[in-house]
Amino acid sequence: MIRTVYAKWLWDSRRSLLGWTLAILFVGCGYAAFWPTMNNEELQELLENYPQAILEALNYTDIASPEGYLGATVYGLIVGLLMIVFTVAAGTRTIAGEEEAGILDLTLSQPVSRVSMALQRIAAVITAIVAIVAVFWLAMLVLAGPAQFEDIPAARFAAMHLHLALFATLFATLAFAAGAATGRRAWAYVVGAGAALLAYALSGLLPQLEGLEWVKDYSAFTWLNGSSPLSNGADLAHLGIMAGLSLLFVAVGTWAFRRRDVAV
Amino acid sequence: MAAPVIVAAGLVKDYGRTHALRGLDLQVNPGEVFGFLGPNGAGKSTTIRVLLDLIRPTAGQVSVLGLDPRRQGVELRRRLGYLEGDFTVDGRQSARELLTYLGRLRGSVPPSRIEAMAEELDLDLAPRIHSLSKGNRQKVGLIQAFMHDPELLILDEPTSGLDPFLQQQFTRMAREAVAAGRTVFMSSHVMSEVQKVADRVGIIRDGLLVTVHSVESLRESSTRRIEVIFADPPPPGTFDGVDGLRDVRLDGPVLHARLDGRADALIKAIAGLTVLSLTSEEPDLEEIFFEQYANGRAERRAS
Repeated sequence: MIRTVYAKWLWDSRRSLLGWTLAILFVGCGYAAFWPTMNNEELQELLENYPQAILEALNYTDIASPEGYLGATVYGLIVGLLMIVFTVAAGTRTIAGEEEAGILDLTLSQPVSRVSMALQRIAAVITAIVAIVAVFWLAMLVLAGPAQFEDIPAARFAAMHLHLALFATLFATLAFAAGAATGRRAWAYVVGAGAALLAYALSGLLPQLEGLEWVKDYSAFTWLNGSSPLSNGADLAHLGIMAGLSLLFVAVGTWAFRRRDVAV
Repeated sequence: MAAPVIVAAGLVKDYGRTHALRGLDLQVNPGEVFGFLGPNGAGKSTTIRVLLDLIRPTAGQVSVLGLDPRRQGVELRRRLGYLEGDFTVDGRQSARELLTYLGRLRGSVPPSRIEAMAEELDLDLAPRIHSLSKGNRQKVGLIQAFMHDPELLILDEPTSGLDPFLQQQFTRMAREAVAAGRTVFMSSHVMSEVQKVADRVGIIRDGLLVTVHSVESLRESSTRRIEVIFADPPPPGTFDGVDGLRDVRLDGPVLHARLDGRADALIKAIAGLTVLSLTSEEPDLEEIFFEQYANGRAERRAS
């Protein structure tokens, strides 16, 4: 019984959501399952001979522990990037994508306010993010034994996945806001992808430069894994920043969407 | 008379330097079919999008069903049905899926109503929408606009490119709605689509409502080509001073002429003669429409 914009969005996205869930499970678990191979002395020695700057730029400084390996490769890189692609696309589609496809008019000619429509759509995206991250969490718990990282408690994984969910929400709401404010798919993509690139540069490359170490604190990738939630549990400051910015993006996007003309 | 259903006063809409609407005044009364006629780019869709609060006017006042679209949009849209000329939806769902959802969103449309309307229009609800022809897609649009029996129907070029069967179905649906006390506001760029169904026609040009006429008075004031065949050539002077008759050309027993307005004077003038045949062309309102255009921004009249 689909009777809300929220439920309709989730139902209409079911195939795409299933695809993304499988992709993230497949790639995430695939990389995680690689841990026993990485966990040998020869490889670790090889890595130790790499210049420290390169290891830091790749966030590979603590790759000898399962927490460090999973944090740096699985969450901090590959799954994080996949989540960005998924959420920027989903956040864009909520308003700008439909508007450019000319199918937003129908929804907006129904007895639903723009604010309600926008909030229901972004809530649906966040629901999808939470679902994907939760399924991935269960998969990692199952994989923990076979892939030899069973020493990491489930609660630490939960903390890591909480960081991942808010990290994904951050990019979803940013793309949503850019699309809602402009009505242009291109702007939503550019802003979302630009923010991702910037965040990546801020966490890896730029801090290598003399005097620029501090920029690391302003990267979404730092908020995702900089405090190593797998080793240390949830970092409330980082979670707070991501949640606060997400709320801000939702508020600004919805406010701008309410004020402007909807394109034909 | 009851309060008008749509009132727009001094409606202005600027897009940067282009002026889509330049002070449009409009009044639509309850229980009528109002045809909103004009060429592409005259401002028809812009006006309609303002009525629905999809865009906001630069200046001017709008009231629809006594509500302000800007502040009372939800309540307003609950009471109206809207169809855009090029009805576009996510084509991956079936018509049934979409219409059931829209019905639930509105909260007042039983599925049986959707099935009944689809049957009337001869539409199969099961296939995905992207596999439907343009005509069938427009049927889905017609159903979603009419299914909750709204007080006001706002239809943007509802019949452009539809086959005669569907045009006829549309005319029937609009007439039924009006008979039930509803109001229909429809735009078109083709007079022949509007004249069958509308009571009044407003002509929009360059963002201004140029003129409003009742279709009946347009018919009355229109020129029609007539041909009368007599048994014998009529006596000279028969057609002198006949009211409304002009361009008289007698070809033996055959009269060719143009008749402005009523046919009464002509009929009386030839009543004493033996008439074998009388042909009067259906007045071409399209022609009048273009005359109105040619007259351009002549004074605006409201009928």
